[in-house]
Amino acid sequence: MARVMVTLRLDPGQASPDEVRRLLGLAPEEVDPGFGLVNISPAEHLYTILVDQEAAARIADAPQVEGVFSNPRIEPYGPPEEDQPRE
Amino acid sequence: MRVLVQFRSSPAVHAATLRGEAMPSFAATTAAPIPGLIIDPAYTPVQVPTPQAAEPGASPYLYSPAVRFSMAPEEATYLVRGTVPDDPDRQRAAMAEATSRPEVVGVFSDPVIETCLVCPGDPAVGGDQDVATLLGVKALADAGMDGYRVSVAILDTGVNLAHLEAKGRDPKFSSRRSWTPAGVATRPGRHPVGHGTMCAYDVGIAAPKATLLDYALLLSETPGETAMSGLLSDAVLAYSKLLASIQAMPASRRALVVNNSWGMFSPTWDFPVGHPGNYSDNPAHPFNVIVASLEAAGADILFAAGNCGRDCPDGRCRFGTGRPICGANSHPSVLSVAGVDTRKRRVGYSSQGPGRLNPDKPDLSAYTHFRGSGVYPADGGTSAACPVATGVVAAVREKYPSSVLSPAELRALLFKTAEDLGGTGFDHDFGWGVIDGTALAATLAGVRRSSRRRSGSSR
Repeated sequence: MARVMVTLRLDPGQASPDEVRRLLGLAPEEVDPGFGLVNISPAEHLYTILVDQEAAARIADAPQVEGVFSNPRIEPYGPPEEDQPRE
Repeated sequence: MRVLVQFRSSPAVHAATLRGEAMPSFAATTAAPIPGLIIDPAYTPVQVPTPQAAEPGASPYLYSPAVRFSMAPEEATYLVRGTVPDDPDRQRAAMAEATSRPEVVGVFSDPVIETCLVCPGDPAVGGDQDVATLLGVKALADAGMDGYRVSVAILDTGVNLAHLEAKGRDPKFSSRRSWTPAGVATRPGRHPVGHGTMCAYDVGIAAPKATLLDYALLLSETPGETAMSGLLSDAVLAYSKLLASIQAMPASRRALVVNNSWGMFSPTWDFPVGHPGNYSDNPAHPFNVIVASLEAAGADILFAAGNCGRDCPDGRCRFGTGRPICGANSHPSVLSVAGVDTRKRRVGYSSQGPGRLNPDKPDLSAYTHFRGSGVYPADGGTSAACPVATGVVAAVREKYPSSVLSPAELRALLFKTAEDLGGTGFDHDFGWGVIDGTALAATLAGVRRSSRRRSGSSR
């Protein structure tokens, strides 16, 4: 799990990738630029970013951080396979 | 009524059995015909070894301690097949006469046994026309519900429109409102033919006029170990685009249905249950949060229940005896769809509840494992059941936008009108039963009539 999702609760003025990096002291290469800053709950002002696992551990106690979450693999559900392939 | 009649040893029957012959004349096994009992002459008698108790006086049918079986002709018994009258009085008389004969050990039921559940690799059961009939597509269409002006987002491996057209589909399509992850070379509607195209075809069974949005998140360039996989962060991005899309629709005309025929096959890809960053059991995970946000904005979200059913799970399942319907597939704000074949039997691979976020999963069943898109020999998995249900939801949304009927209210109607299968009411194999477009259309018409009457009387 190279990168993980970090949920943030942000004030409106804080909701930009640059401001989040500044607030949390993250280097540009520690944050996935393609993912950016995603608003996951407009009502709750919750956002998520995708960052390196080590950087996530470093910022986990920041006041804006609500939690650090897994980024598991997903696959199509069908048609089902008969064999027992890779683990 | 069909029965199996067990006879004691008879030299004539034993000899016939050894020769593999059909039942010799009835007189060979019993002194006189038994009124009402008709023996099937085509059924070769089967020699049944007789269990003998290890200790005197013990019942040999407890099988504990271990019993001995004798195939000696003089100790063995023989089964033949026959019928007794269905009329209760005549049946009782025939049974009494038969069991009174010294040569008869007993008369036993010969119940109908059925083929096994459909499993991975089994041939298709029926076709998409059968599914359309079973779904009640005509009733929906007669009520003016075929998905026109309703957006259906296919979050999958991408859609190939040329294939759909070659198979007789003519869906509306919005390239502008579709989304392709960064780095994917193909464009919306022109992705390689595969799983996503199957889903798009199956949506069209009930909602042929829906507008398809192609979200090829499983073609992401940040995959796991296979070409057709992605990461949950890709789904978070896709949902953020959908959230923006529905918020751009006028509140009075919101109609967005989201098909998700994917999920997680192994808990080893996740943080363990109990870890604060876990996905499978954690409603605070960012993806579970954004799913709830999108539903609250008026979207109908459908997830496949999964293919980790106990009878014959997909070879990729790694949940063991754990609950396989997890994460957003078990979210209280989504419709989790199990699979039945066109005979209304649960397919053996369809995941069973309880769910992890909400124990009352799956919600309902839809048809799968039929000849359809031509992408695979059978449109299979709960992957196909999900878009079949998505099509019904999209059809309804043409007349009932989420401002009139909220996603939760529509789910409740789907549960109420589903054809109950399995145990009475909700169960963890079928949910509330198999989706029924005919009953749904009739119920919606009734709601419409009564609301017209109410508004008329208030004037």
